[in-house]
Amino acid sequence: MAGLLSKERIVARPGFNRWLVPPAALAIHLSIGQAYAFSVFKLPLTKVLGITAPAAADWKQTELAWIFTIAIVFLGLSAAVFGRWMEHAGPRKSGVVAACCWGLGFLISAVGIRAHNIWLLYLGYGVLGGCGLGIGYITPVSTLIKWFPDRRGMATGMAIMGFGGGAMIASPLSQLLLDHYKSPTSVGVGQAFITLGVIYLGAMLCGAFMFRIPAPGWRPAGWVPPPATDRGLITRRHVHVDQAIRTVPFYLLWTVLFLNVTAGIGILEQASPMIQEMFKGMVKPSAAAGFVGLLSLFNMAGRFGWSSLSDRLGRKVTYGVFFTLGPLLYIALPYSGHIRSVALFVICAALIITMYGGGFATVPAYLSDLFGTQYVGAIHGRLLTAWSAAGVAGPVLVNYIREYQIERGIPATQAYNVTMYLMAGLLVLGFFANLAVRPVPDRFFMSDEDLARDRGPLGATAKA
Amino acid sequence: MSDVERSPGERSGHWGVVLVAWVLVGVPLLWGVWNTLLKAAALFE
Repeated sequence: MAGLLSKERIVARPGFNRWLVPPAALAIHLSIGQAYAFSVFKLPLTKVLGITAPAAADWKQTELAWIFTIAIVFLGLSAAVFGRWMEHAGPRKSGVVAACCWGLGFLISAVGIRAHNIWLLYLGYGVLGGCGLGIGYITPVSTLIKWFPDRRGMATGMAIMGFGGGAMIASPLSQLLLDHYKSPTSVGVGQAFITLGVIYLGAMLCGAFMFRIPAPGWRPAGWVPPPATDRGLITRRHVHVDQAIRTVPFYLLWTVLFLNVTAGIGILEQASPMIQEMFKGMVKPSAAAGFVGLLSLFNMAGRFGWSSLSDRLGRKVTYGVFFTLGPLLYIALPYSGHIRSVALFVICAALIITMYGGGFATVPAYLSDLFGTQYVGAIHGRLLTAWSAAGVAGPVLVNYIREYQIERGIPATQAYNVTMYLMAGLLVLGFFANLAVRPVPDRFFMSDEDLARDRGPLGATAKA
Repeated sequence: MSDVERSPGERSGHWGVVLVAWVLVGVPLLWGVWNTLLKAAALFE
């Protein structure tokens, strides 16, 4: 008998409703999306000992910043390393592993808070939680692409939209928990971590156990794959992950994702101080916080909207729009500061952020178009290293250039101008990288024998 | 006996199960969006 978590056990029977898979995917992505709301805990974590104010032995912001950085690094690393295993193990097993890593990460961190040992937070939320993020991110995406070959963009957009939406749930929920557990002897952050760990473990396990995979050869009723000659960039064959990373299109897409994320993250990271400094006296801190909230809504909407639109426009054209419209919008940002138009600034930044989110959500569909669906999760995992690299490059570029400008005596209202022009330049580079994407050469595709061997018993079933 | 599991979506009333699943993930998501909208409203005050 196949194990409870095995891939063979979750092959859907005829009549399975594929619309049950997106909520399973959302259960996982809404949980791991908490990572974007980690900053809610930053201040309470600096007062674990002092309670009302930081004590001398309390953790410093600089020590705490490493927790999130480690988590994002391990997100990229685990997605790259475990992607291939995930394809073989199936979404239920990898979903359960992601749930355990993410949930246990919170629980270990809670122990670390109780013992006031920062290394347990690095290990718990950073390393273990980071692995939960990476495996949890690629698992639903790979499964959805296989269920929605006719609407790959929309399907992956739904899941990746959940990653953006997860922060919107986690932020007010964490605040409620902190208020509930706060007492004269505790800031309540340890108890909040335990509660969140249990909630996320349960939600992700539900999602993992709801996953089904389509039988080999399954396709939606009435859907006929587009002929390969119609759109050269959509293949009906499959490239092995080890071969995919030897192809030029893989590195071009890596560059495309890296540049798109670097440009977007630069805005996201500095959104609040940027709007306050560019419009000094016009935007209060509370309005700046509202601006950050607005950006997160547009980030989420862009994930679903652009990726769904890419099913009609094609992935290459969609990225072409990002890299054409994006530079114009970045150039318009300093102009909005020059004419003192907060409305123009907000509209341009919101549109930029939709394309940042859209870039994340459209890339898995782009990969499956070029490399097929057999190893798309593993290939996507390796491509996510671009996210980790951009996570470092984006904020560094924005912060260092701003500081350099201020040191040179440029007023704070204009200190971001050079950065915006640089971001526009990066997007122009992305335009050419995207333009250079061509179909994967024939020699990289798997033969039918390789594919059947790779699919194991499932492939044999399909052949029989 | 087959090792393949029968899932809720394979029983009668497929769409009912799908609806329940969507409500379970949709309600927290809408709650999060609503809270963010309230926060974002400060920008327009």
